[in-house]
Amino acid sequence: MDMINWGVVAPLIAIQLILMTVALLDLVKRDQVNGEKWVWAIVIVVFNTIGPIAYFIFGRKTD
Amino acid sequence: MRQWTVMYKKELSEQWRSFKWLWVPLVFMLLGMTQPVTAYYLPDILEQFGGLPEGAVIDIPLPGGGQVLADTLGQFSQIGMLVLVLAFMGTIVSERTQGTWAMVLVKPVSYGNVITTKWAAMLTLVTASYVLGLMSAIYYTFLLIESVPILDIVLGALLFLLWVMFIMTLVILFSSLFKSSGAVAFLTIGMAIVLSIISGFLPDLIQWSPGMLTSHSSDLLRTGETEALVWLPTTVTIVLITGMIFLSVSIVKRKEVIS
Amino acid sequence: MYVLETKNMTKTFGGVPVVNRLNLNIREGVCTALLGPNGAGKTTTLSMLGGLLKPSDGKVIFKDQEETDHRQMIGYLPQYPAFYGWMSGIEYLVYVGQLCGLSKKEAIRKGEDLLSLVGLTDGAKKKIAGYSGGMKQRLGIAQALINDPKVVMLDEPVSALDPHGRREVLELMRELKTKTTILFSTHVLHDAEEICDDIYIMKEGEVVAEGTLGELQRNYQQPAIHIETEREIKQWSSTLLEKEWVRHMDVKGKAVTLTVSDLTLSREAILQDPKFHGLAPVRFEIVKTSLEDLFMQVTKS
Repeated sequence: MDMINWGVVAPLIAIQLILMTVALLDLVKRDQVNGEKWVWAIVIVVFNTIGPIAYFIFGRKTD
Repeated sequence: MRQWTVMYKKELSEQWRSFKWLWVPLVFMLLGMTQPVTAYYLPDILEQFGGLPEGAVIDIPLPGGGQVLADTLGQFSQIGMLVLVLAFMGTIVSERTQGTWAMVLVKPVSYGNVITTKWAAMLTLVTASYVLGLMSAIYYTFLLIESVPILDIVLGALLFLLWVMFIMTLVILFSSLFKSSGAVAFLTIGMAIVLSIISGFLPDLIQWSPGMLTSHSSDLLRTGETEALVWLPTTVTIVLITGMIFLSVSIVKRKEVIS
Repeated sequence: MYVLETKNMTKTFGGVPVVNRLNLNIREGVCTALLGPNGAGKTTTLSMLGGLLKPSDGKVIFKDQEETDHRQMIGYLPQYPAFYGWMSGIEYLVYVGQLCGLSKKEAIRKGEDLLSLVGLTDGAKKKIAGYSGGMKQRLGIAQALINDPKVVMLDEPVSALDPHGRREVLELMRELKTKTTILFSTHVLHDAEEICDDIYIMKEGEVVAEGTLGELQRNYQQPAIHIETEREIKQWSSTLLEKEWVRHMDVKGKAVTLTVSDLTLSREAILQDPKFHGLAPVRFEIVKTSLEDLFMQVTKS
């Protein structure tokens, strides 16, 4: 595994981090979400990529 | 036309402020990168975790670049499509159920503009995400595996894009019919699956089906050629998309805004 | 001159008429109220006039026949206005202004004027999602005025507001009625009496009384007799229902209010009735009914 080229893998990780960060920022800023905030926080952090997507689709209340 | 532009811009800024312009392209880029990277590292991964007996010779040939790109489009048409349909299932439904349409449709707006701006703005974001995702896939494929003739990629990508547009137009059509975004998503995805399966099982019988676009696109990417009948599903799909838009407009026009 | 008329306008939902053969004549430059309890069909009526619902029967006639799209000349505020919460107040006004055909520049100027008219200048750049109920209602009125409409239709514009917000919006409407025709619905008589010239009282989809405020007050000021007794009055009062001079009777405990057609006749009849004296009367009073009594009758049953 030491052959892994970090230049290749880094962008993948970066995108996942951006998704997670933006989802968390939005979660914190928002007054109300569909469901409990702390549950969403766990979902966003634990479920890599799918967590933030699920939050963007189902968590945010349309306003 | 001025009204069209105003409404189109409103849709785009709504997408922007709900972060759709951030997360949808990122998800497609992620999808696009995953396939070539996985294909490249698969032998290593198997060696590490595969539990193969000591001394077994690992000989997994790298798939061709065209194959990897075709597999990427396969990811787009499954996970990617699911994400898109879920992201846009509420675009018309929520305007109806929340009552924002009742305020807008008492203004002198054309119902044609209402539907076509929703459609166009949605396809703008979808196309941009799709192109970015595909470009990531191409970059990694060329870097890690091998290059593929650009013309084949462009043609294959265009055929696939047409299929994506067809599915997203279904979202608009079902949104004009139903008040539940769940129903819209369910019917759209169901329709996409049915069309893909039928086209897979009976390719000779329904050469005109929009579902054939994905297999033509995949053939183009893998082998650089496809059957001469590509124009058939292409024409049918374009006609169907146009028809569905007209249908959606007339449904919304006939339906009462509140009920 | 009527700016807006309806001829036998009817709306049925599943065979049940919600609005039944409605004939409205909305005078230009006048404030008209649709007054009635919940379920009288006021919202359905306004929705049809706004073009959000299609009449099942009858028609709506606008004065400007040459204008093909009537939405051009109306402003409309639904009972529960729903905005795009991600826009600011001014953004929303500029958006709907442009939908009405204004250029961006005109829409901005018009939007700013209207925000100051409704007293929202401070909240102009704030996201609508953060607005209070009163602010939304005022923004709702502003958006209804963006196209300088000939008729402004407001559906229960004050009912969701607290007394302070109610006061503000009523003052705003008083100001507006000097500039344009207003048609609004309410279930509160007092709101209608305060700013209206014409009133239609609706019940179960039909108009039960109509006229100018003055006419209605005169017509429904009928002579009435108010009686209170020590003993139970119910049995005796029910015998009165057969008398031809009784128009309406309202019993509350040991008190009765009778609306009568002929005051002299009924006064004599009651005072000469020995059974009446047997009830040990404590009060016998000649009163006049008001529009409020009429409205109470309508609302109650």
